[in-house]
Amino acid sequence: MTEQEVINTINIALAEEFELELDEMQPDVSIYEDLGLDSLDTVDMVIVLEGAFKFKIREEAEVKEIRTLGDIHSFVIKKITAESK
Amino acid sequence: MPVISSTHIVIMNLWVYGLLALWTLLGVGLSPLASGYLRLRYRWSTDRIVRHLIWLYGRGWLLLISPFIDFKRDGLGDEEVPDGCVFVINHLSFFDTYFMGALPHSDVTFAVRSWPFKMFWYRFFMRMANYLEVEEQGWQQTTEQGIQILNKGGSVLFFPEGHRSRDGQLQRFYSGAFQLAVASGRPIVPLCISGTGVLLPPGRKSLHPASVRLRILPPVSVESFQHEGGHLQLRKQVKGLMAQTLAEMSSSAESALVKGR
Repeated sequence: MTEQEVINTINIALAEEFELELDEMQPDVSIYEDLGLDSLDTVDMVIVLEGAFKFKIREEAEVKEIRTLGDIHSFVIKKITAESK
Repeated sequence: MPVISSTHIVIMNLWVYGLLALWTLLGVGLSPLASGYLRLRYRWSTDRIVRHLIWLYGRGWLLLISPFIDFKRDGLGDEEVPDGCVFVINHLSFFDTYFMGALPHSDVTFAVRSWPFKMFWYRFFMRMANYLEVEEQGWQQTTEQGIQILNKGGSVLFFPEGHRSRDGQLQRFYSGAFQLAVASGRPIVPLCISGTGVLLPPGRKSLHPASVRLRILPPVSVESFQHEGGHLQLRKQVKGLMAQTLAEMSSSAESALVKGR
């Protein structure tokens, strides 16, 4: 999977899960202020990403640092790269 | 829409808010006596007693609004609503909670965000009733406490949208209610309410006459959702059912209005 494919998969999965428009899914948007997610949504976000990429991330401290959609892209790309080595 | 005079609205507001204040004072005043009776009669715990008193308060609300609000409950009958279930309901108005007095069971624990707990006149009773403050606790603790409530035969009620709808349309659903249902194995019972957005929508303080309908849908079993991410599929299915039912209710209300002209 290329980086762009990973980004597209994330955007589509989150847009479907949280009823967002794909046009809104820009890397620099805040998932809280711009996309309207809140702390109650982060659990679902993790489940959606785990389902889309078949990995486990719920115990990872880095998840708590995520603020923008770009942070999610980078985090997932890093995770996939590390797992493929 | 039928024309309603401003005099009618003024009388309604004086009547409902006035009687609601009296009913509240009477309820608070009589609650120690009622608690003592319920404790002796049924040996209920304090939180169970307070939930019952809140339910009775809701019953009183239904009575005092009856001259101005045409309220009907349909769907499942009293005997068909299971004990120990997870209720989910759409949210249109501050007064939606008051209409839960129309539910057949009084042992209903509300799972709500933090803002209702910030109103001091509610907070005391909400704490006494062991209501769940989901924003403060998070889903994990809410699920653990919810399972304990369900195991004792009580039900838990969620507003899965989290906020009142501003346009009457169903909003995005949070997943807590569905996580609890899947984790506990208890059914979801969807409730659809309409008309309270006319009675008192967000941002308005004066009440308006309305036809309010509360429909109790058949329980949705969680058996086929017991897998990773199953609660998200359950959420989607229940939201679809509710959206379809609300559309039917809206269409029936419009037909009734046309016939009444």
